[in-house]
Amino acid sequence: MTRALILGYGNPLRGDDALGLLAAERLRALVPEAEILTCHQLTPELAAALAECDAAIFLDAAAMGTPGTVSVTRLTPQPSAASLTHHVSPQALLELAQSLYGHSPRAYLITGVGESFAPQAPLIASFEPEQLEISTSPSEEFAAELTPAAAAALEKICRLVPELLANFPALW
Amino acid sequence: MPTIIIDPVTRIEGHSKITIQLDDEGQVQDARFHVTQVRGFEKLCEGRPFTEMPALMARICGICPTSHLLASSKACDDIMAVHIPETAEKLRRIMNLAQITQSHALSFFYLSAPDFLLGMDADPEERNIMGVVRKYPQMARDGIKLRQFGQRVLETLGGKRVHPGWIVPGGVSHPLEAAQRDAILAEIPEALRITRAALQWFKGQIEKFRVEVRSFANFPSMFLAMANDTNEFSAYNGWLRFIDANLNVVADHITGTDYLNYIGESCNDDSYLKSTYFKPLGLKDGVYRVGPLARLNMCQSAGTPQADEELAEFRELERHSVLSSFYYHYARLIEILFSVERMQTLLHDPEILGHNVRAHAAPNQYEGVGYLEAPRGTLIHHYKIDQNGLIESANMIIATGHNNQAINHGVLQVARQFVKGNKLEQGMLNRVEAVVRAFDPCLSCSTHAAGMMPLDIQLLDADGQMVDRLLR
Repeated sequence: MTRALILGYGNPLRGDDALGLLAAERLRALVPEAEILTCHQLTPELAAALAECDAAIFLDAAAMGTPGTVSVTRLTPQPSAASLTHHVSPQALLELAQSLYGHSPRAYLITGVGESFAPQAPLIASFEPEQLEISTSPSEEFAAELTPAAAAALEKICRLVPELLANFPALW
Repeated sequence: MPTIIIDPVTRIEGHSKITIQLDDEGQVQDARFHVTQVRGFEKLCEGRPFTEMPALMARICGICPTSHLLASSKACDDIMAVHIPETAEKLRRIMNLAQITQSHALSFFYLSAPDFLLGMDADPEERNIMGVVRKYPQMARDGIKLRQFGQRVLETLGGKRVHPGWIVPGGVSHPLEAAQRDAILAEIPEALRITRAALQWFKGQIEKFRVEVRSFANFPSMFLAMANDTNEFSAYNGWLRFIDANLNVVADHITGTDYLNYIGESCNDDSYLKSTYFKPLGLKDGVYRVGPLARLNMCQSAGTPQADEELAEFRELERHSVLSSFYYHYARLIEILFSVERMQTLLHDPEILGHNVRAHAAPNQYEGVGYLEAPRGTLIHHYKIDQNGLIESANMIIATGHNNQAINHGVLQVARQFVKGNKLEQGMLNRVEAVVRAFDPCLSCSTHAAGMMPLDIQLLDADGQMVDRLLR
């Protein structure tokens, strides 16, 4: 059986930047056999998870292009000169997996172009002292909300990913 | 006057630059470390309900959100005037130790290892984590594994790796499950193996860095850390204590708002980072250091067997306190060892699975202070609230602020030792950056950094003409 990893990343507090994250979450039900990981940004530790799968799909939001469009790019490992502390590219992660663990999966990057990356509304919109509740994270109603264009891109991504995975390795 | 500007300083958390002033002969006259970002958290939380503070304060940083979460929750415990349940305290301590582990692993393996493994003078194209991956893959794998371990503990307890919730005023939000405990315990032997191997390796390298040991912010200063009755290593509970370079206690049993009598804060014209100082001695003479070096100088024992053995060896470096900031790296590794061992003990404690993990109360005091030993040093959160529980003012003193004066001393000391202004070489300037890295300063990086940070160093002559330039 194909070991598949879906990695969605972005900032849920920055509008459409959450596209990759939300798509990955949605895919949890659509492709139950795949491992789903979500994060704010790519970090070197992810190389270990990548080395343990055959197929990897990175899901990200893009800021350039026509909002709503989705692009699919095949990725190959590529070394990066950057220090790998704050910003790691998917290609550099694949390279890291290859050179540290001797295996990197076949991989695709799917991006959906977003429209608005403005911060979400404040976490607490109103405050009533008599209802003082101890909260440790933003409540659900303030969770990321996509623009219609980004939501359309998310739909496309959720159709594309199962299809890509069903056609492994033919389409890879 | 010719000036060398290193902007930004690389392989640290956050944004900063260094300027080095030369005289007409190219000798170093002065050197300064500037923090170029402002965050303003003390101001923007005014008017927020105090119960929001832990979650809000955690956003100060993407590397050490847990430390702010803990210090902030402790300040809120104080406002509510509650003693949190014992199980909750133990769980919070595990969280803090995991945070120390993952942060120290990041500092040592990702940020500083390229200097140790590939050399201070190596080509910067090579002297980065990818260079380490190519030449020392096992070390790179170990670094990833250890950081992953720390992060997995944070994720298991807090629900997510970055900005975990779970720690709340009054305790933690839910108890630990047996399966979660067992999963963490299963990873501990490997984490210990990696840490011991790194320590063994690092100790073997120290000889190669004699000049760096001598010149990396190596000067007598006071140290500040949390202390307790047992004089064991303490990262969560206790009061504040200052010791001098000869290990004499200078001020002790500092609790609550008392810190204001001992710690002064001074604004700088050329940096957004304030400098703190030991108030009774004033800004110039009141320099002290915090963090791993301070903590190991402060405690009499670690309290865990393997870390105690390492601590005994560490102490043999000097007669009194260990003064060279190069040894922050060494101290960091010993602290990882301690943290992993201590986590193991805490997880084996049957009480750790207890269900009483949270105390509930309304505000009972208008003021609250929380102290914590964060990876980089003593962290202080201090809040005042009004009768509705809204924040009136907040004061936070963060480890890197305590170390600001020492970092500046270090930058000047290293620049004088290595920088010959007539001809720039990468290795000279890398050492100026490396002394900053030794402190592992955290300049409150946001979780979404603004892309790549190129390094451009220009050497200007007295007329402002560029005489030399290094790019990377």
